[in-house]
Amino acid sequence: MSRFTAEQRQVFGALADILIPEAEGMPSATSVGVADDLLDRVANLRSDIVGDLLRVCRVAATQDPQAAIGKIRAEDEEGFAALALAVAGGYYMSDPVRRLLGYTGPERRPVATDAPDDFGALLDPVIRRGHIYRSV
Amino acid sequence: MSVSSDHDVLIVGAGPSGGIAAKHLAEAGFSVVCLEQGEWTSPDQFHGDKPEGELMDRQRWHWSPNHRLIEADYPLDESGSDVGVAMYNGVGGSTVLWGANWHRLAPSDFRVRSLDGVAEDWPLSYEDLLPFYEETEAAMGVSGHDGDPAYPAPMRYPNPAFPIGIAGQHLARGMNKLGWHWWPGSNGMPSRPHRHLASCVRLGVCSKGCPEGAKAEAGRVFWSDAMAAGARLVTGARVREILIDGNGLATGAVYIDRSGVEHVQKAKVVILCANGIGTARLLLLSRSGRFANGLANSTGLVGRNLMLHPVSAVVGTFPDSIESWVGPGGMSIYSMQFYETDASRGFVRGAKWALMPSGGPLSIHSGLAGAPLERGWGAAMHRKMRRLGRNAVWSIVGEDLPNPENRVLLDTEMTDSDGVPGVKIQYRIGENEKRLKAWHMDRAAESMLAAGALETLKVAVTPHSGGHLLGTARMGDDPARAVTDAYGRTHDVPNLHIYDGSLFVTSGGVNPTATICALAARCVQHLIANRRNEKVAA
Repeated sequence: MSRFTAEQRQVFGALADILIPEAEGMPSATSVGVADDLLDRVANLRSDIVGDLLRVCRVAATQDPQAAIGKIRAEDEEGFAALALAVAGGYYMSDPVRRLLGYTGPERRPVATDAPDDFGALLDPVIRRGHIYRSV
Repeated sequence: MSVSSDHDVLIVGAGPSGGIAAKHLAEAGFSVVCLEQGEWTSPDQFHGDKPEGELMDRQRWHWSPNHRLIEADYPLDESGSDVGVAMYNGVGGSTVLWGANWHRLAPSDFRVRSLDGVAEDWPLSYEDLLPFYEETEAAMGVSGHDGDPAYPAPMRYPNPAFPIGIAGQHLARGMNKLGWHWWPGSNGMPSRPHRHLASCVRLGVCSKGCPEGAKAEAGRVFWSDAMAAGARLVTGARVREILIDGNGLATGAVYIDRSGVEHVQKAKVVILCANGIGTARLLLLSRSGRFANGLANSTGLVGRNLMLHPVSAVVGTFPDSIESWVGPGGMSIYSMQFYETDASRGFVRGAKWALMPSGGPLSIHSGLAGAPLERGWGAAMHRKMRRLGRNAVWSIVGEDLPNPENRVLLDTEMTDSDGVPGVKIQYRIGENEKRLKAWHMDRAAESMLAAGALETLKVAVTPHSGGHLLGTARMGDDPARAVTDAYGRTHDVPNLHIYDGSLFVTSGGVNPTATICALAARCVQHLIANRRNEKVAA
């Protein structure tokens, strides 16, 4: 069962699009699902911030989203931190966003046992200068 | 309260020093039991190789126990500290989340009083520790490039160094332009399969737990051997007091299991391996009529001289991608160019620089780091995120001189989940350290520009970077000026030993795990060799 109602998602999405609008060739938060499947994913991974998110949605439900963000930031440090993490955390888990940034995320790059090193000649001047430790 | 049967040796804490002690003792035929307040971890618990990795780093696998909020941790009041503390409580100790930078101290580190007129000399030398460095480097599968001129020869590693990558090559060329030392990274992870460790695949997420089972985490490296040799490891066992008999000898410990039941574990010898904060906490908790100021604390030094190595960072932004999230993470290269004292700089001692992966989008997100809305979010955020993969980071670990006012205290107001007092950290960065940081950050920024960086950013103290927990029960030959002797035996209680980072007399300017491991290996082998002289309770 979802932790968020449609109304809460709508409020959350409006706040998310202020933090992450469509700009600079990048999509907005809601256009990649930050208030939908990505919000569920974040909430499942970080259940510790769900209470803060629901509180933020309550506070923002009756206000202009821009004003609500200012108020939450000024008066509810934990609430804003949860909102910011959920929005950014969801957004940068999005595959289309990662593709646009050229970000692969951590990838496995094993080192072949017979691979030559990639620093040999670069080290020559360091070796030529000799020891630099202080003798005791 | 149940009373468990007598063992030859009780170890408190299953991190690297506890693991080394247990392995050696069990293989030498001692009956060994270890009490560890945390639990085992396994590679499949870590998220670093998944898209949600950075989201989870900020809670379950956070460096700070105050953020993790798991039962094994105890609370730290850091309101009196200039830096947040990092540690992990569980099998493997802080090696579960360590960045795996592997560095020996330099010969001069053991003689800072004689050479520079500050702090104290260690009661041992680089040469005394050398065979134990080599032994633990073999066990940990350290990968590095032989022959670093920043150390006396021979300087050899069991596994070859990792490629230094695009970022490493950029910085290496910059250092060469300046005529400054650099060297391929020495890391506590094997570049080839090594005993219990898989080969590292350079995910670059070491400090958030290794999903590959490749990082030299003490549970994997030492505890598997120790348990195969018969050592008993009890997890979820929070020690609240070391027990002492009427003759002032240790007889065991009281611990609380995860169902809240108290137990007494008896032993002929007790070894504390609970890290530079946990060991001091336990000694201060173990007050009695005979030891009114805490156990082994006749000097008043237990908990004092805390050294944390707050890390500075210099970020350079390059015009093109340097794949700066690629591992080892771990370091690709390091520099010891300015490690030794040069009085003309206005401070004594020095620092090591390590080129580390710069992480993913959340790591460089200024909005999450507290920037104002107009700079950290919106279109500005999108523009800044174009730096992803173009940032190189020098992580700077500098000498943190001992100061008796920097200390671990008991906190009776904040307790752990068993009601045992937590810890107050009282720690201020000293004047020598401030000058050292400023000077090194300037030089590191120069090297970034020489390497082609377009701009640089300096961070004097990175958040939660106080993860080298050192000095709170220092070793020394004089019982009036040290808590233990040169082999970790406490001067006050003959069968109570300390083998962890508490022993450090000075911090050096490098990551301490290599020295913690080497000290533990040296101490326990001395204990085994001198077993017939060990004074134990009747």
